[in-house]
Amino acid sequence: MNSELLKYKDISIRYGEKKVLSHFDLDIKKGDRILLKGRSGAGKSTLLKMPMGFAHQTSGNLYFNNSLLDSNTVWDARKRIAYVSQDLDIYEGSVNEFIEEVFSYSFNEGKLDRTKLRRLLVYLGFEKDVLDMHFEELSGGEKQRIGIIMSVLIGKDIYLLDEVTSSLDSALKEKVANYFLERKDWTLVIISHDDVWEKENVRVVPVGV
Amino acid sequence: MEAYDIGYLSLIACFLLLAIPLFVSHYLKLGLINETVVSVSRMILQLAFVGFFLTVLFDLNNSAVNLLWLLVMILMASHSTINEVGLDLKKLLLPTVVSFIVGNFLILLYFNMFVVDLENLFDARYLIPIFGMFLGNSLRGNIISVSNFYDTIRRNENRYLYSLSLGAKRHEAILPYARKSIKLALKPSIASMSTTGIVALPGMMTGQIIAGSSPILAVKYQMAIMVGIYVSTVMTVAIGIFMTIRSSFDDYGILKKDVFKSTNT
Repeated sequence: MNSELLKYKDISIRYGEKKVLSHFDLDIKKGDRILLKGRSGAGKSTLLKMPMGFAHQTSGNLYFNNSLLDSNTVWDARKRIAYVSQDLDIYEGSVNEFIEEVFSYSFNEGKLDRTKLRRLLVYLGFEKDVLDMHFEELSGGEKQRIGIIMSVLIGKDIYLLDEVTSSLDSALKEKVANYFLERKDWTLVIISHDDVWEKENVRVVPVGV
Repeated sequence: MEAYDIGYLSLIACFLLLAIPLFVSHYLKLGLINETVVSVSRMILQLAFVGFFLTVLFDLNNSAVNLLWLLVMILMASHSTINEVGLDLKKLLLPTVVSFIVGNFLILLYFNMFVVDLENLFDARYLIPIFGMFLGNSLRGNIISVSNFYDTIRRNENRYLYSLSLGAKRHEAILPYARKSIKLALKPSIASMSTTGIVALPGMMTGQIIAGSSPILAVKYQMAIMVGIYVSTVMTVAIGIFMTIRSSFDDYGILKKDVFKSTNT
């Protein structure tokens, strides 16, 4: 049985009096790649934050792995899901310190694969010495790439990607999109204005129309 | 040897000195005349009250009354921490009170039992002034650490959430902010220990010397007090953060918006 990993059921979102999204349904199965499309302010980012417990619906239910997402199950969801936002406020300190800290977190049981790290850095156009650089020395695009690399290194298989290619040049946008889309067993939910994500096998889901 | 008494006339002579700052303020148009008059008046009233109050308390010297007074001091310190930081009193009063009790009262008992070696642990003459010194310092530390902690975690909410999304448990995501705030709060105590005696003679030591103690005894007390202050500040500040976390973060590990008094950021 290929049951849903994530299931948005009759989700409505309101901020105060303002209706943002009404009766939204979406089933996401393992291996799905979904591109959420809609005008800004339609609630796309909120939908992406909900499985992490960073935002909540006003009504409706969200299921992760067939159980209702609540303050208990959200921790299971966080173990399996990588959420990468467009926010570039990542860390205070060096890239190396950041990587070490993230690998010290309890939910990351795997060990840091240095070879994979080096390969990813090269693939995304980094010089080697970026590891000793501090985040305040990095450009927006560099921070964004480090964020992407980090999410891949910790070895999750569900990715919620919110405008992760927005600060990259077109060659890098293409590389990032290809990297994710080539991994067939990963489940991807993407928000992006970049057309590099609009490939075959990517299902476009309209939000808030 | 007793200290020379300051008569009431002499006290008035002292206040006459205030003519100098008032003149300076007037001449340089500092606009501090009103403030000076108000704060000097407050100082006189508050200290006069404390003087009478402590006289009564010392004469009475009843352990239960002394302890009750410590509790009042703790409540005032907790109230002032939460207020100063702009947090919601109802949610955070209890954890803050607990942090002050554990951090100060337990250390005070140890101090009175093993350091000063008192016969009556609850002797007002020792209990209240020493507790006051502990509490005053840990109050300052607590205000620095609690306000810094909630401020930075609120300002860096995205970074905080990001660490949750990278596999941090709640306490792991919180720890870097707690660490920073605690360090910040301890810096003044550390600095004051390392400069004491050179840059400034501590007030308590000076007071003891004037009151007739030998400088050696005064120095021994001062050392003990500074260690006591440092230990109680460390404990209060650390416990303060970790106790308040329990009521200020939800089960999703996210800072509750309603722990802050006002809704405007």
